[in-house]
This record gives sequence, C-alpha cells and structure tokens, in this order.
Amino acid sequence: MTALVDRPTAPASEPAQRLRPPVTRRTLLLRLVLVGFLVATVWAWFFIDMSLTAMFGGLGDMARLLGRMTPPRFDDLDQAIDLAFETLWMAVIGTALAVLLSVPLAFGAARNTTPHAVVMAVCRGVIVATRAIPDLIFAAIFVRALSIGVLPGILALGVHSIGMIGKLFADAIEQVDEKPREAVQSVGAGKWQAIATSVVPQIIPGVIATTLYRLDINLRSSTVLGIVGAGGIGFLLQQNLRSLQYDRALGVVIVIFVFITVMEFLSAAVRTTLLGGDRASAGGRAPKGSIGAALARRIGAAGPSRQGVEEFDPDTVRPPFRGERRTKTIYAVGFAVLLGIALRSVQLNPFEVLGSLSDMGRVALRLLPPDFTTARDGIWTGMLESIAVALVATFLGAIVSMPLGLLAARNVAVNRAVYLAARLFVVFLRGVPELIVAVLFVSAIGLGPVAGTFALVVGTAGFFAKLIADAVEEVDPAPRDAVFATGATRSQETLVSVVPQAMPALVGNLLYVLDINLRVSTVLGIVGGGGIGFLLFNSLRVLRWETTGAILIAIFAVVYAIELLAGWVRKQLL
Amino acid sequence: MRNPAHAVRPAADPIVRIDGLSKQFPNGPLALDQVSLAVPRGQLLCLIGLSGSGKSTLLRHLNGLHRPTSGDVEVMGVDVVRAKRSQLRELRREVGFVFQQFGLVGRLSCLENVLSGALGRLRAPRFGVLSYSTALRRQALEHLDRVGLADRAFQRSDTLSGGQMQRVAIARTLMQEPTLLLADEPVASLDPESSAQVMDVLFRIVVEEQLTVICTLHQVELALGWANRIVGLRDGHLVLDQPVAELDEREVMDVYRRVEPGAGPAASPDRAGERRATRIRS
Ligand SMILES: Nc1ncnc2c1ncn2[C@@H]1O[C@H](COP(=O)(O)OP(=O)(O)OP(=O)(O)O)[C@@H](O)[C@H]1O
Ligand SMILES: [Mg+2]
Repeated sequence: MTALVDRPTAPASEPAQRLRPPVTRRTLLLRLVLVGFLVATVWAWFFIDMSLTAMFGGLGDMARLLGRMTPPRFDDLDQAIDLAFETLWMAVIGTALAVLLSVPLAFGAARNTTPHAVVMAVCRGVIVATRAIPDLIFAAIFVRALSIGVLPGILALGVHSIGMIGKLFADAIEQVDEKPREAVQSVGAGKWQAIATSVVPQIIPGVIATTLYRLDINLRSSTVLGIVGAGGIGFLLQQNLRSLQYDRALGVVIVIFVFITVMEFLSAAVRTTLLGGDRASAGGRAPKGSIGAALARRIGAAGPSRQGVEEFDPDTVRPPFRGERRTKTIYAVGFAVLLGIALRSVQLNPFEVLGSLSDMGRVALRLLPPDFTTARDGIWTGMLESIAVALVATFLGAIVSMPLGLLAARNVAVNRAVYLAARLFVVFLRGVPELIVAVLFVSAIGLGPVAGTFALVVGTAGFFAKLIADAVEEVDPAPRDAVFATGATRSQETLVSVVPQAMPALVGNLLYVLDINLRVSTVLGIVGGGGIGFLLFNSLRVLRWETTGAILIAIFAVVYAIELLAGWVRKQLL
Repeated sequence: MRNPAHAVRPAADPIVRIDGLSKQFPNGPLALDQVSLAVPRGQLLCLIGLSGSGKSTLLRHLNGLHRPTSGDVEVMGVDVVRAKRSQLRELRREVGFVFQQFGLVGRLSCLENVLSGALGRLRAPRFGVLSYSTALRRQALEHLDRVGLADRAFQRSDTLSGGQMQRVAIARTLMQEPTLLLADEPVASLDPESSAQVMDVLFRIVVEEQLTVICTLHQVELALGWANRIVGLRDGHLVLDQPVAELDEREVMDVYRRVEPGAGPAASPDRAGERRATRIRS
C-alpha cells in the first residue's frame, strides 16, 4: 500500500534522448507506399522503354502534329454540334438506365434489405464487375455484338455506371436509421411496405446526389465512345484522323473541349445559384460543390414546412402544393422532360433500350467459357504493359501536378493572378478526355505505350493538380502563421507546414490516381496507345469471344485488386 | 370486433402469458432469465428496473421483434415463438408499440408517419401521402387531432419537439386500432413537462379505448401514479410483482438497489381494475 502512495507522480525519465521521430504505423505505411510506388515505377519505366530522349522526341513530334493541325478548320461544325448534343443525350439516357438497373441491385446488395445471402453476393458481384470494366470496353463489345450507333454507347454508359451508382445506393441503404423501420414493422407492415415507408424516404437525397454526380462524369466519358463506333462526337474525330485531315480533327477537339468546359461551368453556375456561394458540404456522398450535393441540399432544406404550420383542406387532407413537395415535383418533371427530349433526339423508344438488355445477356454468354490459353503470352504482357503505363504516367503526372497544384491553391498561390492562371490551366488540361489526347499522341508519335503514357500524363496532371489544390486549401492555417512568425520565407513555409499537413491526403490521392489511370490504361490500346486494350480490340475484331472473356477477367482482377489496395491504404491514411 | 376470436374470450383470460422466458444474446449477456408473467385484459402494468435489466428485451419478445432462447410467449392467443411470419404480422396489427426513440421517419410529414400505422391493414407498399385513401387520411388526421397536433399534419416530423414527436408516434399507434399497447420508456428522452403531457395523452387514450398496457418507465413516481400493477426486473430476473395499492415507494426503490430485495410472490392483479377508476379522477 505504502509503495502505491509513495510512487512518484512524474513519469520515469526517458532512458535516452530521442533525436529521430518515432516510427508510427501511419508514417511507416506512408513511406512504404511511396517506396513501393517508386520501385514499381522504375521497373515500369524500363518495361515500356521510356527514356528522356523518347520523352523529348515525343514532345517534338507532338509540336509538329500541332503545327499540321493549325489553323483548325470548322467545315463540319454543324455536324460536330449535332454530335455534341447526341453525346449529351447519350449521357442522360445512360445515367437514367444505370439508375433504373441499380435500384434493385442496391436493395439486393445492402445487408439490411437483401432477401438472401446468395442474392447479396450476386448483386455485389455485378456491382464490382461493372465498376472494374471501363465503359469504353463495354462500348466496344456492344458495338461488335449489336451494331454501330448510339444504343451500344448508351448501354455501355448504363452498365458501367451501375458500378458506382449501385455501390453508393447500397451504402446509403445500409446507413439508414433502423428505428423507424422497426416501428413500421411493429404495426404489422410487411417487409417491402416497411422498406417503402421508412427506408426509401431516407435514401432519396443520397440517390439524387449520386445520380447527378454520375451524370457529370458520364457527360465527359460519352465524348470518347464514338471512337469505337458507339455514337457521339468521338466518331467524327476518329474519322478525320483516319483520313489525315488534321486541321478538321483539331476543330472537333476544340468543339469537345468547349462542350466539356461549358458543362463544367454550367454545373458550377447551378451550384452557386443553389448554394448561394456557400461551399459548405451537402448531403449524400457526392463531393462537396457538385451539382448533386447542391440539389440534394436544396431539396432537403426546401419549404416553409420546417417552421410554420401548413394550411390544408381538412376534408380531402391533401398536402399543400408548396415547399418541399413543389420542389421535388419540379425537379422530377424536369428530369422526365429532359429524358423525353433525349430519347426523341436519338430516336430511341424506352422499350427498345430495355429490350436490348436481353441482348446483353446473350453477349455475356458468348464470352464463356473464357479462353486463357490461345493468347496467354499476349494477355500477360498486355496486362503488364497497362500496369507499367499507369505507373509511369502517374509518376510523371505527379511531378507536373505538384507545383501546379500548389499554385492553384488559393491559400498558397503567390497572388491572385497566379492562382487564377493555374486554375484555368487545370481546367484546360481536364477539358479534353485522356483518350482523345491519346488519339492525338498516337497520330503524332506512332503506336505504342509511350504515346499512351503521354496522354495519360496530361490527364493526370489536370486531375491530380485539382486534388492537390483542394487538399492544400484545407490545411490548417494556424501552424503556417507560426512558421511565418519565425521569419521563414514563403517556400520554406510551404515545405515545412503546408506539405506535411497535406501529405496523407496526397499519398492517398496518389493511389486513387493510380487506380483511375490503370482503368484508362486498359483501354488506351483500343486507340493504339499500348497495353491490353489492343489485344482486347483485336479479339473482338476477329470475333474470338472466348479470348475477350479471358481478357475481361484479367482486367477485372487487376483493377479490382488495385482498387482494394488503394481503398485500404486511403482508409489507413485519411 | 376486429378479431372475432378475441371477442368471445372471457375478460379474465390473460391477454399476455409469459412462461419461463429466457433470452441469451449471441455473444451477449443472458438478458432474461426464466421470467414468467400473466397480464389480464384491461390492466395497466408498469415494468421497472435498472438500465440493462432486460425491460426492452422483454417487451420486444411480445410482438416478435426478438425470438426467445427458451420459454413460451403467448399474446392474445397467438403463440409468438412458433408463429409464422403472416401470423406475426396479424398479431402486430393488434399490438401497438411506442418506442423511446419514437421511430418516426424524419423526412416524412407527421400525417404520413401516422398513416404508416395503417400498413398492417393494407396490401401493397405505399409511397407518399397520396398513396393512401382519403378515408385513411381523414382517420389519420383525427388521430393527430386527439394528440393535439392536427395543425401540424404536413409539417416534417423531424422539425417537431421531442414531446410532439412522441405524440405523433402515439397517433400512429392509434391508427392501428390496437388491443394491447406496449410502450418502451415513452418519455425517457423528454423533459418533465413534455413527459407529463405525453403521459396524459397516453393515459386518456388508454382509458377511452380500454387498452391493456405494458409500459416500461424509469420515473418511479410516474409509475406509481399511473399503473395498477408494478413489475420489477433486475439482471433479467423478475424481482417484484405487486398491485400498486400494496406498494410503497421504498419497496419500489429497492428494485433499483444492488441488494436483493425481499420481493414477495406475484400478487393477484384482479383488484387492480377497480383501482383504476379512482386514479382517473385524481
Ligand atoms: N440486440 C442485442 N444484442 C446483444 N445484447 C443485447 C441486445 N439487446 C439488448 N442486449 C443486452 O441485453 C441486456 C438487457 O437489455 P435491455 O435493452 O433489455 O435493457 P433495459 O432494461 O431496457 O435497459 P434501459 O433501461 O437502458 O433501456 C443488456 O445487457 C443489453 O446489453
Ligand atoms: Mg430499454
């Protein structure tokens, strides 16, 4: 007892003074990821025969191509604009189709609503598989199996989008408050009654946010589907390049650029009107600032019914057509009208779209059984090449986007002019989809992984710079003032307080970018940019469906493995 | 009237009969240990006990939200343990349940929440107020009126105060037209004034509708003023079961002590019915 009382209150003195920081699990993981990434990149660099001469030579070739392209010609501007609209309608219909297919899948995949464990496994499998296979690959398959045109493009967008929409829907369902459901069940309601009454109202904001977020994404990706003949403006670009009409091709690229940029600004404009310039995060899983989040918030906050007592006719007991009900109705009608216009413009009736789903089942059956043996070496080297392209592009893209991202962060940029210029440059880089850049690089420096890598670097630079800028803008300002107070210079301060604070986010995002780049690099081969896509496209051309099936499985395995790894590391770091 | 099978049953027949009920949660505690209890029609029974003593668990066995590890539960002639899903649905229709956390769907209007109480009588899933018939909507409005919230019919339920939310939940239960009412700490998350208001509303309705009630309560004074029989649980054991008239507050407080009280055997609940009349007046 006395020993306990006499025990000194101060902790025993440290045995030895520490001059090195302790290695925590987190810092260890950070270093491991970075070292692993660098080692892999070195291997990849040699695997695709990348070299500094190749790099500068490539840039020279690109400059020459640009010389041949300018001045751009807009001879077929009318057609280009028509096709741009077709692209827009494809995105709208494809997104709607994806939502339609995702709803039952999500209820089947969510732990708390699934009817059976087997159903759950199947639904989750579909969601994971559709997410791992890029939409362009779906488009190439559907074009080959069905026909050229907008329908395969819409189906491809629809099927691939299930992967994200279905997952986010299922997450939303799993996160609902279970208490109301229990209450409704205890009045004797059946399972689906309870779900309709207590689960569905809770997930609606998330559903809307997710849908609109995906629409943003599909607007971009639908511009490239035409390259494989699946409708939209990409087709025109491919045609012009094939016939070596480079000046016209640049005209089409500019139309695509304007289309995507206008859509981006439109979404920013809608966002500010809805949020009133408020950047606060909104409901659902959509990233803050997306239209989806803004709309969800608007719908959630709509209506005077939050405060006052609503008037209504006690005889009919109908809800007054005001507030939330009116807002919801207007948006629902608006989306229905948009969908109607879209279907009319591309001359499809909804039943045709739904009917073709059964064709997809037949296509899927043709891929079986997968044939790994005939093209075994091709699949192996193709896959390695795709991975290598993704690694090198991520590395080079990161080098370019680090300074760019810092300059594009409002709180670090030297001054407002630099900030605006950097942001604009980022928008410019992001304005042309990677695959279209790839088509250009292939035209400039010929077939092969180097051209694909270049294209991917451009895309990465824009995307990663934006992620870095966003991460840096969220850095805590207090330590920065402290560092400035010691008399440090701007760049000293940035390195000492900004970069360390943003580091976990940066490493997490590095893997995220790698994950995305891997998806893109599997399709680069379709336009001649190296990797497994070439073999895939070839197997489709000669109708070796079983080989196609094997390649799809290989792509799925690698993409899904990286997705899991990236997700795990991000969770540890963020 | 609603269920002819019940109409012919003599009033003395217990509406709830629990026999040797035990519940062992997987990887959890033995929440109930050999509990036996019979509740006659028309009784107002209060269930008290420390937090974690198994009160909620007991209630949730009565409408099949939990399945017992062993023992029998019979509610209104239905063997809850062996009931098929459809029989359970049928039973739940007759048994109102008021939750401590209200269980309202926050994004829906009060009226729609009340309407969901009718789901047991309806077939298809419903979505939106207008998917219910006008007659049902009128009925729901009347029930909201009874709890004093008719003017809030189309207000979102997550904008109400806690007391108002619980009254909406009570209106939802009324929509069921229940015979038996289970209430799990209906006022535990409310301030004293709202508690009194909610308990008043509940009490008035219970008397008007001649419901049988099993209610868990933490406030001993409330329980003593309200019930005609008190049952105490501790660590899953039944440690007290007496008509209110034979109890004083000290005995009740014993349930909340760590020491084992010398709880008497289950007392005859029959006299309780008479005492209710006096309580209404007071
Ligand atoms: N779903 C469950 N899974 C595992 N254990 C549970 C579960 N529900 C309750 N328990 C446990 O059973 C015991 C009894 O819980 P119960 O909720 O019935 O207590 P209570 O008397 O209602 O308490 P309170 O007054 O806090 O509501 C507790 O130890 C609790 O942790
Ligand atoms: Mg409880």
